[in-house]
Amino acid sequence: MFKELYKYRELLKTSVKKEIRGKYKGSFLGVLWSFVNPLLMTLVYAIVFPFLLKSTEPHYVTFIIIGVLPWTWFTNTIALGTTSILGNAGIIKKVYFPREILPISVVTSGMINFLISCLIILIFLFCSGIGLSFYILWLPVIVLAQYLFSLGVVLITSAIDIYIRDLEYIINFFVTMLFYATPILYSPTMFAGTKIASIINLNPLGLIINSYRDIFFYQQMPNLGSLGFLIVGCIAFCTLAYLLFKKLAKGFAEEV
Amino acid sequence: MNEVAIEVKNVTKSFKLYYDKPSTLKERLVFWNKKKADNHIVLKDISLTINKGETVALIGVNGSGKSTLLKLMTKIIYPTQGKIVTHGKLTSLLELGAGFHPDFTGRENIYFNAAIFGLTKEEIDARLDKIIEFSELGEFIDSPVRTYSSGMYMRLAFSVAINVDAEILLIDEILAVGDQHFQDKCFQKLEELKKDGTTIVIVSHSLDAIKKLCKRAIWLHEGKVKMDGSDEEVINEYIKVCG
Repeated sequence: MFKELYKYRELLKTSVKKEIRGKYKGSFLGVLWSFVNPLLMTLVYAIVFPFLLKSTEPHYVTFIIIGVLPWTWFTNTIALGTTSILGNAGIIKKVYFPREILPISVVTSGMINFLISCLIILIFLFCSGIGLSFYILWLPVIVLAQYLFSLGVVLITSAIDIYIRDLEYIINFFVTMLFYATPILYSPTMFAGTKIASIINLNPLGLIINSYRDIFFYQQMPNLGSLGFLIVGCIAFCTLAYLLFKKLAKGFAEEV
Repeated sequence: MNEVAIEVKNVTKSFKLYYDKPSTLKERLVFWNKKKADNHIVLKDISLTINKGETVALIGVNGSGKSTLLKLMTKIIYPTQGKIVTHGKLTSLLELGAGFHPDFTGRENIYFNAAIFGLTKEEIDARLDKIIEFSELGEFIDSPVRTYSSGMYMRLAFSVAINVDAEILLIDEILAVGDQHFQDKCFQKLEELKKDGTTIVIVSHSLDAIKKLCKRAIWLHEGKVKMDGSDEEVINEYIKVCG
């Protein structure tokens, strides 16, 4: 697998570039939209949720934005990734290349966007007076976990979407549900000791977002045990997803 | 030099023909018992060997499975039964300009297109001048591709594909590119590649072109090899039967 991907690394590079540049082509603010969007979302939550929740965390805006930015990476990746094969039907039918390049480049361009948007987190951390700590050095590990998890999901959904077109809409529903099941707007400590807490703990994305909070917001060691467990699990998940993708990929040109 | 470049072993390819293909879940559930699918067999138990350095033409009437065989060789689709093994770097020209992005300039599209063929940046850099020169686009190379005429588009696409230095080149019915001058140039380039030992497989209805380029011709008829031999013999027989 890696040998062929290495051979086609130039294609991977150009399609990542195309992904980043092409998405907002023709719009006035261009690439800036990938940062303005989550900021506007944060603004809405920051206005609405203090009314709904009895008590919110101190520095609530900073608290939310650390959750919203990784979440934006995740949803964008799922939405774009699921249709990545179908949207490139023209090339799929005419040229051979390793098809997994398409979902991989969606996840990768999303990651680059996220890493840049981490600057926004830093600005908020400084402005709210929380500051920085050395725990931020764990960032690559958390990003890796999210990368692997998203890649696994997208490899499966993009392949199945070719055969069952409904998947795009089904996925939309699940993503919306997942948004509320993930501690983005609230802190999981709210449910400490209840059943809901254990459900949240089973959500890989919840674990990932909590880890981001640990290193940025609470400035403490992320739960390395769970994180390590998650990464091993995601590697296994990715491998299975890849095998499924490869099996289904043989029929792409005929089905799209 | 008798190394094998392409080996086709007992390949059968069938397509499912749906009258009304269910693509959404609802259609699948509601019409689950309406199995209106015909199995259309395009290739029936074909075996072929093409050696390195050979120039082979696939001929036959429409629907005889020529293009399907070519697609199988490039691994865009996969055989229902049997196996195809290719040795060496393979490039196929099934349709010119697949994957061109209309908003990008000619130069950017060269990079993107050549990357699809599996070239690295250094390799593309080294070929860039050759490609631009061959396409004769001159200063237009830095304009967006959507501003090109169809002839210019084809010329650029062909120039990229022909300059990737493949060991096996598969060409589907695209020899009629551009004006007479550019066509001559393409033939010249193909002759050059032939001399360098590139294996070339061409699907074409232009029998004159085949006679000029190829030494061997394979006649496919209704999914089977009807005749396989020197170009003269096969083409003469083909004209007798189908002409």
